[in-house]
Amino acid sequence: MQHPLAIRRALIPAIVLALGAPATLALNASSAAAADEAAPDDGPASGVLLLKAKGVSQALPAVRLGTDMAVTVTGQVARVRVTQAFRNTSNAWVEASYLYPLPQDGAVDSLKMVVGQRVIVGEIQPREKALATYEAAKKSGTKASLVEQQRPNMFSTLVANVAPGETVLISIEYQAPVAQANGTFSLRLPLVVGPRYVPPHTLTGQGAAVDAQAVTSAPVLDPALGVKLNPTSIAVRLAPGFDVANLVSRYHKVNVSGPLNDRTIRLDESVPADRDFVLEWRSAAADPTLGLFAQHTDKGDYVMASVTPPVDLSRLPTPPREMVFVIDNSGSMGGASMEEAKASLVHALGTLRPQDHFNVIRFDNTMTRLFDHSVAATPDQVGLARRFAESLEAQGGTEMLPALKAALADAAIGGGNDPDTLRQIVFLTDGEISNEREMMAAIDADGGRSHVFMVGIGSAPNDYLMERMSTIGGGVYTHVGAPGEVAAKMMPLLDVLSHPAVRNMSVRVEGGSLDLTPSRLPDVYAGRPLVLVGRTAHLAGTLTVSGMIGSKRWEKRVDLTRAQPSPAVEKLWARRLITDVEADRALGKLDDAKADAEVERIGMESGIVTSRTSLVAVDQTPSRPQGTPLTKEDLPINLPAGWDFATLFGQSAATVGRGADAADGGAAMQSQGLDLPQTATGFVGLVAEGLALLLVGMTGLALLLRRRAA
Amino acid sequence: MIRALSPARMKEAARGRGLPMLLLLAVCLAGVVEIGRGLYVPAKAAVAQVLLERAFDRSLAAHRPLKPWPWVDMTPLARLSVPRLGVSRVILDSGSGQALAFGPTLLPGAAPIGARGTAVIAAHRDTHFRFLRDLHAGDIVTVRTRQGLNRRYRVTGTSVVRWDRYAAPDAVMGERLDLVTCFPFDAIRRGPLRYVVHTEVVTAHRDGA
Repeated sequence: MQHPLAIRRALIPAIVLALGAPATLALNASSAAAADEAAPDDGPASGVLLLKAKGVSQALPAVRLGTDMAVTVTGQVARVRVTQAFRNTSNAWVEASYLYPLPQDGAVDSLKMVVGQRVIVGEIQPREKALATYEAAKKSGTKASLVEQQRPNMFSTLVANVAPGETVLISIEYQAPVAQANGTFSLRLPLVVGPRYVPPHTLTGQGAAVDAQAVTSAPVLDPALGVKLNPTSIAVRLAPGFDVANLVSRYHKVNVSGPLNDRTIRLDESVPADRDFVLEWRSAAADPTLGLFAQHTDKGDYVMASVTPPVDLSRLPTPPREMVFVIDNSGSMGGASMEEAKASLVHALGTLRPQDHFNVIRFDNTMTRLFDHSVAATPDQVGLARRFAESLEAQGGTEMLPALKAALADAAIGGGNDPDTLRQIVFLTDGEISNEREMMAAIDADGGRSHVFMVGIGSAPNDYLMERMSTIGGGVYTHVGAPGEVAAKMMPLLDVLSHPAVRNMSVRVEGGSLDLTPSRLPDVYAGRPLVLVGRTAHLAGTLTVSGMIGSKRWEKRVDLTRAQPSPAVEKLWARRLITDVEADRALGKLDDAKADAEVERIGMESGIVTSRTSLVAVDQTPSRPQGTPLTKEDLPINLPAGWDFATLFGQSAATVGRGADAADGGAAMQSQGLDLPQTATGFVGLVAEGLALLLVGMTGLALLLRRRAA
Repeated sequence: MIRALSPARMKEAARGRGLPMLLLLAVCLAGVVEIGRGLYVPAKAAVAQVLLERAFDRSLAAHRPLKPWPWVDMTPLARLSVPRLGVSRVILDSGSGQALAFGPTLLPGAAPIGARGTAVIAAHRDTHFRFLRDLHAGDIVTVRTRQGLNRRYRVTGTSVVRWDRYAAPDAVMGERLDLVTCFPFDAIRRGPLRYVVHTEVVTAHRDGA
């Protein structure tokens, strides 16, 4: 049964590609080189989402899904139980598949399947073995479920043999660290996966096609049906260890109850899964004196420490900067996202000073540099850039790599060749692409002294891509999720941009040993903590983080023995290790086979779902009678809130034609701002005015003469 | 009425109800002047087009730019026609507000006609480019330049932008032509909005036919 499935998985993208004409070459070509040649000149095909051919669901699915999330926040870790209820409303036996997002730094460690009164606990297995176990169970007619990781922030659940009218509950659990910036803690629960763009040049073989199929398998429900799917309820128990203040739910209405240090937050009513849930809070006290947690296990001690550099850098002079803004105007940005991106860019342009240099690059499946090289930020040039930004329209595919390379490339020329100049790239996108690894590799290879700052746009951006690109690129990730948020979210980012990172950072442990992650220390900015997770045989000693801020030396010491206990640190450490392995893989330091083996080892050891390990649960008793057919259904997802369905799926002929036009030029395209002249003579107004005057005059005269005659 | 303006009557008028009478006469006069000024605009636009049409034909024959009348500083550049609407206009090579009174002009900041990039032609919404409101996607616009270059463009769409928020794609996007006028068409006052008709080239004949 495994073989036919593999074929079917490969077949669907193959059909889609056949429709996308020239890109088919990529699959048929025996050499990767041939594929590379085919990619650049395939015009319209490159602007087509793989989804397009099959990606729209015009009817409601037979299997209905409801999701409940129960979250417990203790200290700086969230433990989340996600319960997915699959209800089969049809008369047939069904296999359902659902694609959903989880936080990119979360670690899934538990799967339970509830069938009637029985609870079947899932076990962790290497990916292929888990799939084989699942397929065997499916074939024999027993209920089974499989949780696979497609991307670090994208998972899929498969449930086999759901009887007509039956409901099967799948419960998974994960933990994720709570993010912190400038004293604000934030918890993000992603609820929907945005449709991804698959660049045709990445489809170089069977494996790539299967992978592309996996990340685009969920069809999008046509909004014309007027219904929203996948209702979600959320309850958060917030016990961070201090009194909570300024509790805000960014995008959803919530009810809050309970004492200040143990809040309960519930969604007002269940919501359709179409945008991320974000909860933010601060400490009521000035200093939460938190940030150090430890877990004691048989395998050793695990510790997590957050170290925040001093916030007040306002007296430091801001060196001249070269800023390159890259803005995504692909089809997935259509609707509110494009407006948010434009507003964010215009806001950022407004903060340029005359001594700064800048450039703007826009991309969909084509790319335009506003200037050949970065230019001085004179009012004229900034005005031109503003007009350029205002004129952008969302359309086409998402070829992000050429735009990133262009932004990184001109490091040696333009205004930024002074070594004291800070070179910063501000990248505004929703990140809905499938070739994340290529992006990371490009930043590492060509990054030079550029710092890459990601601004995630829209209701459900690809946070994994954003987080990794900004970490590897030595910047920070900011999310703008609603049009009203642009100023509030861009201000802190621009503050960060105006001051250099803590430089020459180093971490050392005295009086003990500690195996620390991340192995490559990221750049750290004011108000943004450095979060270290480590393992040691016995926790002891002092952790010292030091670095240079401007010309001053900064140092922070943490006594490791004063850590508070937390049951989540071990899993987070495993997740961190995997992130390190994946980074090495993306950067070419580790070949695929070795990286896979390493990820599999860590996944099996700590029992978490990874790209190489899946959780599988199989019932013992067969339920589907032999000979009864089983129908497979890919559950549709909502279009993320604020996305424009027509832009994404209904690309007009004119748009495609434009894309083809653009592709044959190949080189960077320029667009030119032009003031349009006043083009109204207003002669109709003059004539009307004259007639009115004449009428008034004549009427007056007539009255006057009549009175005199009388 | 004219008799009422004789000096004797005016003196008499000034004594009695004459002052209001005088004021009303002034109002009437102002009205007539306004109407005259107003009507002069389309008259000038129409006459100029006739003269330009002749100058354009002569320029084509003479293979050099000829002025439509001696004291102007512009020359006819091309003839733009919309066969479906039976419209023909002679385009001028100067973007000054003065030239706009006589005919549509090619904006100097944009690409020239016949080169890769976007050429931009502007004209008044109430005279030469009033027909833009009747142009729809798919319509064919033809342009013949003074040098004998022929171009056929197809309308791809229209948009409304602020005068200072317009950007024209160039070079890589191929040969394009944007026709620009003020918006809305029936407004009495002048406003910041511009109506843009986007077209792209369909065929490019290099012969003189």
